[in-house]
Amino acid sequence: MQQGEGAEAQVTWEDQQNINKFGRLNNRFHELEDEIKVAKEANESLEDASNELILSDEDVVRFQIGEVFAHMPREEVESRLEKMKEDASKELERLEEEKESVLAQMAELKKILYGKFKDSINLEED
Amino acid sequence: MAASTSSSSPGVAERRGIPAASFVDDVETYLKQSGLDVNSSLAFLQERLQQYKIVEMKLLAQQRDLQAKIPDIEKCLDIVATLQAKKGTGEALITDFEVSEGIYSRARIEDTDSVCLWLGANVMLEYSCEEAKALLQKNLENAKASLEVLVADLQFLRDQVTITQVTVARVYNWDVHQRKSRQAAKET
Repeated sequence: MQQGEGAEAQVTWEDQQNINKFGRLNNRFHELEDEIKVAKEANESLEDASNELILSDEDVVRFQIGEVFAHMPREEVESRLEKMKEDASKELERLEEEKESVLAQMAELKKILYGKFKDSINLEED
Repeated sequence: MAASTSSSSPGVAERRGIPAASFVDDVETYLKQSGLDVNSSLAFLQERLQQYKIVEMKLLAQQRDLQAKIPDIEKCLDIVATLQAKKGTGEALITDFEVSEGIYSRARIEDTDSVCLWLGANVMLEYSCEEAKALLQKNLENAKASLEVLVADLQFLRDQVTITQVTVARVYNWDVHQRKSRQAAKET
């Protein structure tokens, strides 16, 4: 945060709490960006796996559970993959929604804080 | 979703060993009460920030460990569940596993009632599938609960850092303001 030139506005406990909340939200925003990146990659991998499965014509597929590759019948692998894809896509959706909410809250706080402190405060990403 | 623990008044003195940063209502009063001049006050606040940084590093490391541990436990639960599912069928579970880096071998896991769990400290214990599932489940819940507490600790810590940074800025600005007024008074 920039040090303003002889800031006139007094900082109240409420202002401090708003600033704290903004900091927390900003941190969460960055965490979410990373989590969303990981979730997107997971979704893509599952898509690729699904496609590979369709292309291959083996009856027994080696499906990774933990550190080992278990031999499983094709249908079971298909249903497992479907479930995993569904879970992954729901997770991605949840993360995107949380990100939107965080951004909205940050925008609100920016309005309030800039409103009171104008130039004395800097809430942008350096 | 971000748990915002904003108290209505600066109440908490510390949290799990992390000292709270006291909020300054008025810079002049604060300096008078502490008996410190501006430079000493700023030095004290900077030192506080350093201490907070050290604690933050420690907490972040713990968080990384927990975040790595949780998917591991979930994988173990998955395997146990798979073994249990195979039990009724009478078929053996055939798996390929890594013997050494890049080298895999095939294993045939017969119908089994028990699994061995690695407990750490070079100890491995045999459990029935049910017991193993219960133990792993409990470990998973504990890990998730610890992670939640850790995240709350980090949020508290970051709040204290923010408060301290704002106090530094305000003390500095107050000083600049004072110097300007003194300068202006001298010149008139």
